Amino acid sequence: MSHDPVTIKKMRKDITPYLIFSIPLIFMMIFLMYPMVLTILRAFMPSGNKLQMGAFSIDGFTKFFTSSMYKKALNNSFIVSLSVTGLCILIGVPMGYFVARVKIPGKNFMLSLGILPIIMPSFVGAFTWVILLGRQGVIRHFLNLLLAPLGITIPTIYGMFGMILCMTLTYYPFVFQLAYGAFASANALLEEAGMLMGASRWYIFRTITFPLILPSLGAGALLVFVRAIGNFGIPAIIGGDKYVLPTLIYFRVNGFWDLNGAASIAIVNVAITALVLYLQKRIVSRHEYETISATHSEIKQHDGKAIRIIAFVYCTIILVVSLLPQVTIIVMSFFEKWVGLFPEGFTLRHYTRIPAHSHKELFNTFYLSIMATVLAALLGSLVAYITERKKPKGAALLDMSIMMPFILPGTVVSVALLSAFSGNSIIKLTGTYTIIVISYMVRRTPYVYRSVAASLSQLNPSLEEASTIAGANWFYTFRRVSVPLIMPAIISGSILTLTTLLQELSTTILLYSSKTRTVPIQIYGAVADGKLGEASALSVVLLIVVFVIVYAMNRKQGKSIASAFKMG
Amino acid sequence: MSLNLTYSKIHKIFDPHSKNPVHALNDVSFSIEPGELFCLLGPSGCGKTTLLRATAGLETITSGHILYGDTDMTSIPPFRRNIGMVFQSFALYPHMNIFENVAYGLRVRKMEEKEIRRRVTEVMELVGLTEELKRNPSPTGLSGGQQQRVAIARALVYDPDILLLDEPLANLDAKLRRYMRAEIRRIQKATNITTIFVTHDQEEAMAIGDRLAVLRKGVIEQIGTSDELYTNPSNAFVSNFIGKMNFFNATLVGSHSAKIDTTTVVVDVKPQRSRLNVGLARGSEIFVGARPEQLEIVEEESEQTIAATVQIIQHLGQVVRYEVLLDKAISPTTMEIDMPHYLSNVREQDSVFIRFKEGMPFLFNREEQN
Repeated sequence: MSHDPVTIKKMRKDITPYLIFSIPLIFMMIFLMYPMVLTILRAFMPSGNKLQMGAFSIDGFTKFFTSSMYKKALNNSFIVSLSVTGLCILIGVPMGYFVARVKIPGKNFMLSLGILPIIMPSFVGAFTWVILLGRQGVIRHFLNLLLAPLGITIPTIYGMFGMILCMTLTYYPFVFQLAYGAFASANALLEEAGMLMGASRWYIFRTITFPLILPSLGAGALLVFVRAIGNFGIPAIIGGDKYVLPTLIYFRVNGFWDLNGAASIAIVNVAITALVLYLQKRIVSRHEYETISATHSEIKQHDGKAIRIIAFVYCTIILVVSLLPQVTIIVMSFFEKWVGLFPEGFTLRHYTRIPAHSHKELFNTFYLSIMATVLAALLGSLVAYITERKKPKGAALLDMSIMMPFILPGTVVSVALLSAFSGNSIIKLTGTYTIIVISYMVRRTPYVYRSVAASLSQLNPSLEEASTIAGANWFYTFRRVSVPLIMPAIISGSILTLTTLLQELSTTILLYSSKTRTVPIQIYGAVADGKLGEASALSVVLLIVVFVIVYAMNRKQGKSIASAFKMG
Repeated sequence: MSLNLTYSKIHKIFDPHSKNPVHALNDVSFSIEPGELFCLLGPSGCGKTTLLRATAGLETITSGHILYGDTDMTSIPPFRRNIGMVFQSFALYPHMNIFENVAYGLRVRKMEEKEIRRRVTEVMELVGLTEELKRNPSPTGLSGGQQQRVAIARALVYDPDILLLDEPLANLDAKLRRYMRAEIRRIQKATNITTIFVTHDQEEAMAIGDRLAVLRKGVIEQIGTSDELYTNPSNAFVSNFIGKMNFFNATLVGSHSAKIDTTTVVVDVKPQRSRLNVGLARGSEIFVGARPEQLEIVEEESEQTIAATVQIIQHLGQVVRYEVLLDKAISPTTMEIDMPHYLSNVREQDSVFIRFKEGMPFLFNREEQN
């Protein structure tokens, strides 16, 4: 009966969690860390696609000072992402405030509609704006007719204006939804206390309400910035001759097969995002507060007539404008062409040809997305469970590597994977399904991970201890208690993953081969060829699938999807 | 067939290799009798929850042994210990109805459906939830008291050898808490399972426990029945943790007598009421301790009285509590004196005199108060 402390310790430490823990770590090492390291190495090699270990060159970077194309692309990226972020805040914050704090009808309806722009593929938004404001665009045509007597002509959508407009209307829901959440859940007692101490409404907003929503606002702004600077679809379709970093990367790879040059641009792109993330963290961390209050009271809403009318009209206008693309593609999909005021030539041809012309692409899209989602769900939940519950050494490293893809634009992930697994590398994956599934997993595992980790951290460990006490071993507890309780988080993370993967363009475009072409690639191709009807019909199909999935999830869980996108 | 529970030289050190290792349990040794309802009592951070979790196996101990009956359980993982535990948060499963919550431990033990049904019904009857079991709602739909009963039923249903209760009443409101502690005692006595009840509330511990252990900083200060702890505290800390004790700064003048500082009052106590270290020298600074009911307020000054100012008068029902302030040299804090009747001519801020009742005070060493 002698147990020295050492043997006690040995008996209790179960190594299975550590074995399982190594699986995601190895995966991230091979498919994220190794490619990223190679990308960094390539960034300092002479242009081309050869992996020359001895050769060192900073040509890829000096081009940002010498080549006017590089300079302009960098410049454009900055202008576009900063303006988009600013505009999203300007549009989203008042809208969030109005929906949360002003008595207006149809709030839930507005919140649901407000999600649509983010669940729609952003490049679909882009080409519908071509229909509306392009050279022969409907609205442009109409306005030009209207304004012709005054000698004013509306500019076309192509270029900076179009990119900014399009991205703003696509991404403002992030700010809107997060601001709404913050305004709606704020503790009214804090504001009432201010009022009792004699503060005016505006003073309270400035000193209490606004500082308390700042963290949410920071998260929203970051989300918009990261997406705007990494967006490929919108600049590719309506950028015209205005390049931004992601399109420049695509241009280097697709035009010149210059992986090393692309790597340099990718590094610059990531560095900017990382810098912004760092700044946001620093600013927000100084303004993060715990609410010190036991009781919570319902927010009193404005019910003045004037503000109610202003709020309602404002929200309606924003929603209508941001939802124009959805309406437009549905109309467009049934017509031959749409130049001038009205669409011409009603037809079902765009739909009837889908089975024959797109069956392979549809299969690929679903096959790749579902495979990647299932694997990402497994990987993400596993890592979340281990880092939250077992807290092994190295958990921080795993957490960081899982979250890193959040700030990696899709094109950068592709460049990294190409850097590591193409040409004369040991494992050659170019053109395979595998490389696309891996790229999807690397990019989307954070969604499931975050969702599950958040749900686990809110789960009282005594629920699991109670099961152990009742006589259940680790696996029984995991199966009967842990998994059922985190299932909603796994599902919502997976749904989010699936819906974004079904419309994935920026990663796929550099990795696909004729065998692995997906629907978004086909749409992109159709737009490039000017076959807008075909592109619209395919987009409608995609949109319906995504909408049904998201709607079903919202019905089941009643959760805001925007908060699921939140990072860091 | 209940088991006794033995702790032998338990040490628990958190972060032993860091700069500030925390000695959460320090040489804890004692036994709990079969079928006993035993309370672990102490201020927060005293180690009582650590000891409970170590008993369950949820926490490893640095050294020592824990025995259930004659079996050394020290290195047995919790799921093989056959114990029942009620958590402070109840830890009921929101994804299962109350039947499944209670049946959980039986399902783990792969019992037959018929037997599970029989046992759950039986235990729910014991805890008084027969009606609720018929509706069988999710635990989230129950009141705090009912959730508590489900948690107790879940811990009892598979006949555990030991039942552990971790501050089970902390989440209930005051009235329900008083009612549930009687219920817990009734249920425990009906099942006769050896039980440990952890709490920081001395009133609760005194009301519920057969015996109590008072812990401070990982050390057992005293073990005994409520009555023993109250009438015979072993040191100043226990005396003021179990009930209220007023401390008077005093100087030792005889082997069992002390003079209250700045006064002429000399207190003689019976030898068994002295808690002084053996051989303490005359002239040492000590405490004279007296419970509120061992003091009285008088209106005339005499050689045995101490001058005081009444601060607050609280009528508590059976007694009237007078909080009085003495000379700062005697005590920096107020004294509490319980009088059986309201004194009609004493008001707040009045000057009065207080006196020890004959043969009642204790003598304590100076350093042990907290």
